[in-house]
Amino acid sequence: MSANGFTKEEVIDALHDIASEMHNRMTKGEPPRMTLPVRTKQNIAFDRKLGVYKYGKKKSTRDATSLGSARQLLRALHVTEFIEEMIDAGKSSTLREMYYISEGWGHGKFGSQNESNNLAEDLEIITKCMREDFKLRPEEDGARIIGNITFEERNRKGEWMRINCRDDVGDSGYGVPYNVEAEKLRLVDHDIEFIMAIETGGMFDRLVENGFDEDAKCALIHLKGQPARSTRRIIKRMNEEWNLPVLVFLDGDPWSYRIYASIAYGAIKTAHISEYLATPSAVYLGIRSGDIEAYDLPSDDLSSKDIQALKAELSDPRFSDSEWQDEINLMLEIGKKAEQQSLAKYGLDFVTDTYLPEKLRELGFTRL
Amino acid sequence: MVDAEKIASKQKQISISEFFEKNKHFLGFDTPQRAIITAVKEAVDNSLDACEETRILPEIKVEINRVAGDSLELICQDNGPGIPRDSIENVFGKFLLGSRFHAIRQTRGQQGIGITGVVMYSQLTTGSKTSVVSKIESDSTAVYVDLGLDTRKNKATKSGERRDTWFENGEEINHGLKIRTVMKAKYQRGRRSVHQYLRMTSIVNPHATIKLIVRDKEGEIIEQGNWIRTTDRLPRVVKEIKPHPHGIQLGQLQRMLKEADERKLTSFLRHNFSGVSQRAAREILITSGLEESRTPARVKTDEAQSIITAFQMVKLLAPPTDCLSPIEEMLIKKGLSKAIDSRFASTVTRLPTVSQGNPFQIEVGLVFGGDLQADGPIEVLRFANRVPLMYQQGGCLLTKALESVNWKQYGLDHPGGKGLPKGPAAVLIHLASTNVQFTSEAKEAVADNEEVYEEIRKAMLEVGRGLRNHLKKSSQRKKAQEKFDLINIILPEISKKTSQLLGREEPDLSPVITKIMNAVFLEDEISWNKENKTTVCSITIYNYTARARAYTILAKWPEADGIFITDNPRGGRKETTGLWNWRLDTLDPGQSAEIRFSVSGLSKGDWTEADIFFRGNGEIIGATRIDEKLLDEMRKMDALAAAEAEHSESTGSSIEHLAERISESVEEIHREPSTSSEIIDVPEKEIFEPAPNTDWFGMEGGSE
Repeated sequence: MSANGFTKEEVIDALHDIASEMHNRMTKGEPPRMTLPVRTKQNIAFDRKLGVYKYGKKKSTRDATSLGSARQLLRALHVTEFIEEMIDAGKSSTLREMYYISEGWGHGKFGSQNESNNLAEDLEIITKCMREDFKLRPEEDGARIIGNITFEERNRKGEWMRINCRDDVGDSGYGVPYNVEAEKLRLVDHDIEFIMAIETGGMFDRLVENGFDEDAKCALIHLKGQPARSTRRIIKRMNEEWNLPVLVFLDGDPWSYRIYASIAYGAIKTAHISEYLATPSAVYLGIRSGDIEAYDLPSDDLSSKDIQALKAELSDPRFSDSEWQDEINLMLEIGKKAEQQSLAKYGLDFVTDTYLPEKLRELGFTRL
Repeated sequence: MVDAEKIASKQKQISISEFFEKNKHFLGFDTPQRAIITAVKEAVDNSLDACEETRILPEIKVEINRVAGDSLELICQDNGPGIPRDSIENVFGKFLLGSRFHAIRQTRGQQGIGITGVVMYSQLTTGSKTSVVSKIESDSTAVYVDLGLDTRKNKATKSGERRDTWFENGEEINHGLKIRTVMKAKYQRGRRSVHQYLRMTSIVNPHATIKLIVRDKEGEIIEQGNWIRTTDRLPRVVKEIKPHPHGIQLGQLQRMLKEADERKLTSFLRHNFSGVSQRAAREILITSGLEESRTPARVKTDEAQSIITAFQMVKLLAPPTDCLSPIEEMLIKKGLSKAIDSRFASTVTRLPTVSQGNPFQIEVGLVFGGDLQADGPIEVLRFANRVPLMYQQGGCLLTKALESVNWKQYGLDHPGGKGLPKGPAAVLIHLASTNVQFTSEAKEAVADNEEVYEEIRKAMLEVGRGLRNHLKKSSQRKKAQEKFDLINIILPEISKKTSQLLGREEPDLSPVITKIMNAVFLEDEISWNKENKTTVCSITIYNYTARARAYTILAKWPEADGIFITDNPRGGRKETTGLWNWRLDTLDPGQSAEIRFSVSGLSKGDWTEADIFFRGNGEIIGATRIDEKLLDEMRKMDALAAAEAEHSESTGSSIEHLAERISESVEEIHREPSTSSEIIDVPEKEIFEPAPNTDWFGMEGGSE
């Protein structure tokens, strides 16, 4: 059983439907094709029922009238065959392994790993299965967690191991596995008030060293840049199952806004499974563009790429509310960006003694 | 022997040896790096000129050895006619600008100060003598002599003269010249090196074999080159011509009048100038108010001036242009391909034309792709009368004309439309002229001249069009190839895989293929048939549409004397010169047809890219719809050329007269009122300014 509750047979049938569409078209004398939603910001819309952003109604057709598209169809068929074989043999592979295995697929081989990752996502979207159903694992690096929470993780021997993320781990914290579904990970217990997700390793280590998790009674999660699916999923589970607030502490630049959006609203690339990954109640703590001036933080001028990114965000439906529009416009106006670690200007403890407590009090956390 | 003596006797001496000592910076000996290039240049130019005049295929060996700290030994040897003993002193010991100076003809040497400069530089910088070995065919032995120079008396000093049999590597030399000299100089590698100079020389002298060996002090070879001739065809013998009135200045006219043997001005004008007929001579005299019977030697200065003025007012014939020696398109291509590895070459030899009484001719070659560097400006190879120009590129007319073209239009990167275009290309520009005007004595940059500039631009536009067609073709070919891969490889695999996965029958793909392609495709290939030494052009047309098609296919081929279509099973007929056509009456859906023909008389690599056109309904991807208007123009040109050829045959007249008649016939055709001061051009191919997306033959064929 998987997250969506598909059986092996259902997964294979769903994949066969793709091959069947192609075959039927050819039998009718038409070029084979595959239909899937457009995967750009122009085609994501807020789903009121789920509270996250999902793909809209725009479909794109990939048909065999150009060489590139025809190759994609052939690759999809090879991937289908490969997944069937893995399901039959009870194996799994990483996306990267699949990329290398495709070397043997002749004209169906992938040109880059990005292509194979994208195709795996395409198949998820069309079949409504998840890649775990396909026995495909990501290469991506899961997050690390420090704080007084207790998980049970099923280890390689199939035994459940109990781990407290404060007492049973070293300085680097608990490493989040790629599969954080109930069959692999159980949320046992906690004694915290909120979860804080942090963009950079440097800031994560600073807060750990300063004992912020204990002082503020929180769990710290290092996102490692754009967070992996499992990172977003475990945040979502803790938020839902333990009813804990999620605060996001990032750099103050256009790219951080996108990290926040992927945590809170859903990422464009994975909008088909936003309801599993996104935490709509997550709060963007900082660095806010207003902080750069308010705290007089050391900052860099926005590059032309930054400006381009900000302008793109202005037309991204996920940033359409007025608060975000103001935030982005303010950054454009002051023309500056600042890193989390620029807070060190006022000393190593400034972030834990002054900045975060002030921010938390604004949100109603009064412990500090 | 006769030849060798003739050359020597023609040379007239000019006393400027002191001038050299004061002005060596003008003459290419200003830096030690440049001195060695100039020395090699003087020696090699002399060798090439001498071989050309005596119809010998040149074999030239250049050896440079570093001797003391800042001295180089230079040894140059050729297989030319050699120099008769009594002329050696004159050739090497005085500033001789010889036939180059007083007659009008295209030679390499007119650009240098001659080998004497080398002898002098060697003596001035190292105090050493220049050793000469010369063997002429009619003598039994070679002359060995060491030469120095008395710069004040403008005279050579000879020493150690002897006669002996000349052996090189155990072989007796029958005719040739070898010089050895030591001079203060530095060997430099790179863009401005002897190597580059000889490489460029070999490009424009495909009939020459040139070898270079450079050794350091330890005798280790540090650089070498071996450029082997790619043709046995020597450049044609160039005629000397008389000056044309449009290029004459007062002083020169007065000198000519003074030295004239003629008793009457009419015969003086007719005998001493080109382009002056009896009628024109009379008109000149009427216009200038001088009597026909006047004795030339007695004409006064103001009268001479009125003749000069009349020269510009009376309608004159253009000077003959057979005094020029173009390299010619095919040989430029060969020369370029031997020196540069590239994918594509386009060359143009313009018809000769005239500027201020001086005949000149422009040739341009462009190579693209292959090993050429893709980033940075293109390589410019400039030549004047087959001599490489290596310095002052920016200030040279040839470069300016190149830069003035909008290269972006032809597929090269040209930021801001200024400066040199960028990309993996090299452009050769050759100016052949009886009188190349340089910006300075250094003779490295061609001076501004509107006619020359325009001719270069026209030539550039032609090669540019060639490049654009090539690039367009490459991209069309790539697209067509992709489609073929799609239907021949990918689609069958998709069919196989889906059927396997689902356990179903494989579908019939032919209707799917028609749906996907929905176009007519044309593929062409040119290959070399080793056995019968023919170039084979094969054209395949595929109809991937749902209905039958009918087309006329036209192919360009390099039609010329001695080049024939030998094997052409589909027959067809001649459309116009260099263009053949075949009718394809029905090409059913899903069918393909092949046209194949062989061309003899070409060498391998002469013809590598086909130009295919079509006439008929619907587009063909891989071919261009023919522009009937342009075709008409081409036919007219053909008819004109044919009429002229007939005309000249019937009267059997000389070339000069032919030039006269061509000019007249052009006048008749154009019926343009022309002012009397205009120079009459010989007819030339018209240049059509390319409209955007327009080909030489018209509109783009493939819609994709």
